[in-house]
Amino acid sequence: MSVHEQFAEDLALYALGTLQGQERAAIETHLKGCADCRAELERLGGDVALLAFSVSGPRPPARSKARLMAAVASEPRKVPIREVKPLRSSWRTWFSVFESAGAVAVVVMVLLLVRQNRELNRQLAEARSGSAVQQEQLQRAKELVASLISPDAVRYTLVAAKTLPQPQGKALYVAKTGTLVFLASNMPALPPQKTYELWLIPTSGSPIPAGLFRANAQGSAAIVRPQLPVGVEAKTFAITVEPESGSAAPTTQPIMVGRQG
Amino acid sequence: MSHAASEAVSTDAMLVSAIRAGDQSAMAQLYDKYSGIVYSVALRVLGDTGAAEDILQEVFMQLWRNPDGFDATRGSLPGWLAVIARNRAIDSLRKRRPEDEISDVVVRVEPDLLQEVEWKRSLEKIRGAMGGMSAPQRSALEMSFFQGLTHQEIAEKTGEPLGTIKTRIRAGLLVLRKACQR
Repeated sequence: MSVHEQFAEDLALYALGTLQGQERAAIETHLKGCADCRAELERLGGDVALLAFSVSGPRPPARSKARLMAAVASEPRKVPIREVKPLRSSWRTWFSVFESAGAVAVVVMVLLLVRQNRELNRQLAEARSGSAVQQEQLQRAKELVASLISPDAVRYTLVAAKTLPQPQGKALYVAKTGTLVFLASNMPALPPQKTYELWLIPTSGSPIPAGLFRANAQGSAAIVRPQLPVGVEAKTFAITVEPESGSAAPTTQPIMVGRQG
Repeated sequence: MSHAASEAVSTDAMLVSAIRAGDQSAMAQLYDKYSGIVYSVALRVLGDTGAAEDILQEVFMQLWRNPDGFDATRGSLPGWLAVIARNRAIDSLRKRRPEDEISDVVVRVEPDLLQEVEWKRSLEKIRGAMGGMSAPQRSALEMSFFQGLTHQEIAEKTGEPLGTIKTRIRAGLLVLRKACQR
């Protein structure tokens, strides 16, 4: 081990997450260029876990497991929510020609389509091998791409009741295939243990959960193809703030509601 | 890594894969294995059973929602869960938003430590090493980990020089490492 001694103690504090200010900035700069210190930081992370294992205490009450499993059951596996990653600096200038968040959202949508097309091509090659499963996957991918570019696709723009700092959500929804892509921008930060929940408001019946999301540091988030029933006509979409595990039905008033356009 | 330890790690990885596929029973199995350590850490930080239960729920729901946040090739699951629990509990204590993405947390633990047969002995080693430290050293480590205090805050509380606190914390972590390498 050849850790730089001048950083050895600060590395330990950094592993504990308690190094602040200039010392933190200095070590982060050093870590970028020092593989030995990065390796030592990883070892220190393991040491920190040992510290956690030093705790002994009572088992959690039985109700905790029941609570967890109820929350898990009420939230069946959803497509992972993928936050919109910050754009690399070299792209920022190029993107600055777009003056509205809506334009950026459209670009992100195109990128999603391009990625989907690549997946389609890959699945097409595999499907030619004759696998029935692959044929089915190919069909689903084709339907998704067709849905997203279909003239039947209806766009919904969600705006905040209070206009500053102008959070915005854009939902692209195809009822006949139950396909939804949702992008949000300028979303305010939420307190811990709270999450945003998107709702499909059908023309008749109760709101349908359409995904949970938290915005990244830039206030952006995306939900791509959440599990939705097929063929539900949407009157609109809405967003509420819910407990961290989400809700089966809205428990608060919507903070954003949609209109077609 | 022994064969049994390798199996322990791969079992966790398999359970996480099952969770990724939406298997709720895999979630129950992982809860049975690791809820004790997650709850104990949260309770130690927060000192409140209700708040500790909330953290327990939050940590496991994060695993359910985003199993890809844990990379089995980069660390151990119980270590990852324990450190996430500690970080979330400190955030809750300080009433601040989570500071790290769960996928940023990497915790490597000696694989043999994860073997169930070795688990009890390993915990004894860790607790023995903690007990063998001087009171000021153990206190500095615990204030840093369980209270999330910076070395400046610890120095103010104890009246000790900053450099002394830094040295004690690093040396304490190395003592734990050495205890588990024996």
